[in-house]
Amino acid sequence: MTDTLPSIYAETNAVTPLDDSVAERLLTTQSPQRPQSTPRIRIEVDGRVVEGFEGQTILEVCRDNGIEIPTLCYEPKLPGFGACRMCVVEVEGEEHPPISCSRTCEPEMVVKTQTAEVRRLRRTNLELIFSDHNAYCLPPCQNKCPSHIDIPGFLKANAEANFTESTRIFKRTIPFPSVLGRVCPAPCEEHCRRDEVDEAIAIRDSHRYAGDQVIKSMLDDGIDPPVPFDIQPRSGRRAAVIGSGPAGMAAAYYLLIAGHDVTVFERDPAPGGMLRYGIPQYRLPKVEVLEAEYESVIRLGGKIVCNAELGKNLTLDDLQNQGFDAIVVAIGCYDTNKLGVPNEDAAEVLDGLEYLRTATLGLPYPGHAGKRVVVVGGGFTSMDCSRTSIRQGAAEVTLVYRRDMKDMPASNEVHEAIEEGVTAIFQAGPTRVITDDKGKVTGIEFIRMKPGAPDASGRRRPEPASGTEFTIPCDRVLLAIGQGPDLSWIGPGSEGPQPTKQRRLKADAVTFLTDRAGTFGTGDVRVGAATVVQAIAEGRRSAYAVDAYLKGLDLGAIKTRQQLAEPQPEFLSIVPFTSEQKEPRYRLKALEPELRNHNYIEYEIPYSREEVVAESSRCLQCTCEAIGFCDLRRLGIEYGTTLQTLEPQNHQGAGFRSVTENRFTGVNHDYIRDDSHAFILREPSRCIDCGRCAQVCSEVVGAACYDFMRIGFDTLVTTPLDMSLNDTPCVSCGRCAETCPTGALMPKPRVLQKYEVDESRCILCGICVDACPYDALRDGGDFELSHTSRAEPMIDLIALAAVDMETEMTYIRRERDWVERAAADGRSVTPTRLLPMLPAAVAAQIAKGETGGNGNGHGNGHVPALTAGNGQSGGDHAGHGHG
Amino acid sequence: MTTILRTPPTWPGILLSRVEVADPLDLEAARDRGSFAGLRRAVHDLGATGTIATVAASGLRGRGGAGFPTGAKWRSAAGTEASRRYVVANGYGADPSSMTDRTLMERNPYAVLEGAIAAAAAIGASEAIIAVRSDATDAIRALETALTRMIAANLAGDDILGSGASVEVSIRPVQGAYMLGEETVLLKALEGKRGQPEQRPPQPAQRGLFGHPTIVQNVQTLAAVPWILANGAEAFAAVGSKASPGTMLIALRAPGGGGVAEVPIGTPLRDIVGLAGKDTVKDLKAILVGGPAGGILPAELADTAYEFEALRAVGAHIGSGSIVVADKRACIVDLARLLTRFCADEACGKTIPCRIGLRRVSEIGDRVATGVPRPTDGQLLADLSSDIVGSALCDHERLATLPFASGMRYFRFELDEHILRSSCPAGVCRPIAVAAGAAH
Repeated sequence: MTDTLPSIYAETNAVTPLDDSVAERLLTTQSPQRPQSTPRIRIEVDGRVVEGFEGQTILEVCRDNGIEIPTLCYEPKLPGFGACRMCVVEVEGEEHPPISCSRTCEPEMVVKTQTAEVRRLRRTNLELIFSDHNAYCLPPCQNKCPSHIDIPGFLKANAEANFTESTRIFKRTIPFPSVLGRVCPAPCEEHCRRDEVDEAIAIRDSHRYAGDQVIKSMLDDGIDPPVPFDIQPRSGRRAAVIGSGPAGMAAAYYLLIAGHDVTVFERDPAPGGMLRYGIPQYRLPKVEVLEAEYESVIRLGGKIVCNAELGKNLTLDDLQNQGFDAIVVAIGCYDTNKLGVPNEDAAEVLDGLEYLRTATLGLPYPGHAGKRVVVVGGGFTSMDCSRTSIRQGAAEVTLVYRRDMKDMPASNEVHEAIEEGVTAIFQAGPTRVITDDKGKVTGIEFIRMKPGAPDASGRRRPEPASGTEFTIPCDRVLLAIGQGPDLSWIGPGSEGPQPTKQRRLKADAVTFLTDRAGTFGTGDVRVGAATVVQAIAEGRRSAYAVDAYLKGLDLGAIKTRQQLAEPQPEFLSIVPFTSEQKEPRYRLKALEPELRNHNYIEYEIPYSREEVVAESSRCLQCTCEAIGFCDLRRLGIEYGTTLQTLEPQNHQGAGFRSVTENRFTGVNHDYIRDDSHAFILREPSRCIDCGRCAQVCSEVVGAACYDFMRIGFDTLVTTPLDMSLNDTPCVSCGRCAETCPTGALMPKPRVLQKYEVDESRCILCGICVDACPYDALRDGGDFELSHTSRAEPMIDLIALAAVDMETEMTYIRRERDWVERAAADGRSVTPTRLLPMLPAAVAAQIAKGETGGNGNGHGNGHVPALTAGNGQSGGDHAGHGHG
Repeated sequence: MTTILRTPPTWPGILLSRVEVADPLDLEAARDRGSFAGLRRAVHDLGATGTIATVAASGLRGRGGAGFPTGAKWRSAAGTEASRRYVVANGYGADPSSMTDRTLMERNPYAVLEGAIAAAAAIGASEAIIAVRSDATDAIRALETALTRMIAANLAGDDILGSGASVEVSIRPVQGAYMLGEETVLLKALEGKRGQPEQRPPQPAQRGLFGHPTIVQNVQTLAAVPWILANGAEAFAAVGSKASPGTMLIALRAPGGGGVAEVPIGTPLRDIVGLAGKDTVKDLKAILVGGPAGGILPAELADTAYEFEALRAVGAHIGSGSIVVADKRACIVDLARLLTRFCADEACGKTIPCRIGLRRVSEIGDRVATGVPRPTDGQLLADLSSDIVGSALCDHERLATLPFASGMRYFRFELDEHILRSSCPAGVCRPIAVAAGAAH
């Protein structure tokens, strides 16, 4: 016995059931057999003949045959319930459309699942649900981000100091966290809910830190930056991207992940576009950050060809002849708009972009030092021009903007510019440039502007106030009043694409197709000069379309799919988070203005590790936990009930509306979140009263914690008297959260990472094993409770036969001393077959009669009781068995 | 006690023919007036198949509102293989404006019990349950006394009249809401569950109470059965209209007065309304037929026959047997919105169109009546109502759209005045009346 343990199965026959016992009957009686085969029937669905079994519902037959019918209240484990009315289908010859989850199939039935009639009924139902769905999907920050980054997601990873994961989450929507961490205007932060407690989260600075860590480990330790998705197998298709700015590189990045070969063509000597030639070094270090970020594209296999300019030494025909299957035009906006005032062609009136281009290369612009400079405009370019002029030693720099400061696109940067010595004048527009007789600029005349009626962007349109002209004497004027794309390349060799009336490249907002087959337009060239984050969002979305094109999918069909993939901006009821502890924002420190205004060193001092973790922990995580799993949201998007278009104007604020807003908007319910239970979070405001939890809880689990309560419009599926789940017979199995089609019932997020069993208190009941819905606790050799295995010998049956009235308690007690009783009954039991998977070393100890102290958590309880045969119950030994 | 309206002597009496008897619970007196002859004939002469055939031949249709042929229902239940079957008499009388069921059970409990027992014997049910609203204490007391006496006279219980058939009858007071008028909801309540409807098919006749075949019959339907069995199918078929023979109890409410009356099915509405007094017909503006979820019919349609198909064709239904008369002072929009609100508040909350949709209909009504309508409300009302009907689970939601649907069909002018001109022609809706007054 000390050498090998015989197989437990060898001795299974040692226990023979007594004749004519309950046990024997239990063992020998077979359960009723199903008929060998259920008759099959055929029905016609949407013009297709499909086969099902007799007795199946229409829904079951359709699902078995891959025909999707939307449901909300249908729980596959249970018979159809019929509450949501989403699965209505049309059956030929019936007046009212039946619901497919409850309707049994009849042979030769003709079913239509997608007629205009049933789709209208489903849509109405969804609208009714949404009109009483006092909840939100996305947090406002994610909502407002043009690229819809999962902001709570990466902040959570940041709070756990997992910067690689944080960056990976970020890269799902934006490939360049460090670049955006420096240059993004952060529209997300303006809408942060934490603002209602104390101050908005520093979202941008937080991902800047995470991105920098990834770059650091890439440069220092050669660790590849994380890739957000699995890289697809090579497709063999080739895509050319023209322009290596943010839009082009983002498109290239996601196309590479999708498995295509990508070559990026750049007209300048180095890649980067506006990021390299438009944004100064002090805001975005070129080598340390920009090139390091672009490295991630190159590591995925992207090729960059520089000095290739569309229209000069490159045409669309060339690229197609070179074998590129798709061409993405992302050449940005480089044509500065004209003022439209007299004398603006004077020599010293400079294009702001042209000026910056020289400056960002690190070269001083000729004759800039000592000049009096006026910068016209209020965007990021004007800010860069002003602050670069200061750094290049201009005698005085005046910034003039025609609207108020709060309307300025770059308003958060203006304070820094003023600190550095820029004079800012608001609400004034140029009327003429004043030159002397030699054509040299001596000044520029402005007129005061007063706010007029609001325009499409919601800002008030400035109108000149006559008689308020004034002159600013100066030597040089920098124009930064916006840019448009250069479309002069359209023509021979690159025929096909058309410009729009606004002088942009005409391309669809979803498919990004231009008027030339296989050619896509994205980024600033399509929408006009915008922010970096908008350009990247454009690039990423166009990559979806190009990918679909390269895979030969129907581009018309990608509209729906892209809408599904793209988080939809939806608005929100604001929940006050007043109970949160006040903890102000960690502000980024900056170099003193006197130190920074003459050099190009990056002036913002990044967070320390402690600061970024503390700042990220401030996030309230106010997202709906069910996002991505929510059937209601999926159907809402599919049926267009909450759909917002992807058009830019809807991205910019005015286009948002509340989830509850549709033609049926009326009174709705606002329930209180119940987080009293340790495992299950209840958010009744998100409940759609489908009744799935109530059904599953009573029919499958047997606990019956939930039911419909109250009547009429106020009906809600909840616990009796809305009591806490703790006071119901809840067994914490989580099935309700599993079945909930929305986020009304969710597994509660917990930080608990590992369970520990206090064996001194364990009574070896095995209920945890039985109750665990995910088999996390199991009977097995490595598990401390393995000897309570239900699969082990048929003692239970023998024991059952001997007892008339069975209760759970007697059952447990008996199970624990079954060995003694089996011995007393004269049934042969050997200790070995009780220890199915005991390690040999432990078995040896047992054989020697030691009573524990093996230290590895195995073999407690029964073992000594058996070998000693003293009839002690196992539990008594558990305590010292592990000393 | 409810007033029983005097009906013309030519109108036949089937259900309340024992109403003049001072003590309706006197078993011997009832027997003298012809009670229990039907049951005796059923268990001794006709047998199960014969009983069902007689009921089917009589053309009797369910009085619960849907008018389903009773014989067909019994045949379906009897033909479904089962270990046990049930008869449930629906005496719940959910409609607060209709006291018909209650009156019948108080005045003629023997007919209800006799009909239930005959039905049970016919379909092979061993149990008959009379479900009564728990606050109808008079009806419960009457039924219980009657049942005790019937058991003593061997008319119920084991081996009825020596025929070998045994039917256990129980009186079940149930508490609940308006929805219990629906068959499947009542069955749920009897099972001890929350009263919510089940998707049909399967019909309760195939799978009903506790999963067994169950016929759910209104007490009026059952009360007609003994008469049919005693007098023959032909005699019954001669009463009332051809498509729906027999009589029905209706509950009439009019400004001049009201009460319960037994009327032959097929009687013109005008004659029924006339039972409340001559002036009622003169000042008539609209008739609400069918209870809170009924249709609002204009005076021009007063000649419509009170009959299942005729009423359905004009956008109303028999429903609970309630007939409410509105005179010139009533505002149809106001009436419709109150009715819809009642139906919305009484919904069980199971389905989306019912729980939220009906509420939205009533909100549209509120907006219109309080003078703050949205310009699209007229269209929205029509669209929403038709979609609710389209994806409805039970008749409650389907019919609850009727007040507005029929109101808009016949009184479109009034609704338009409310929406477009913010004025209430009847001067009922107050904020609008104020607005209209200020405009002058």
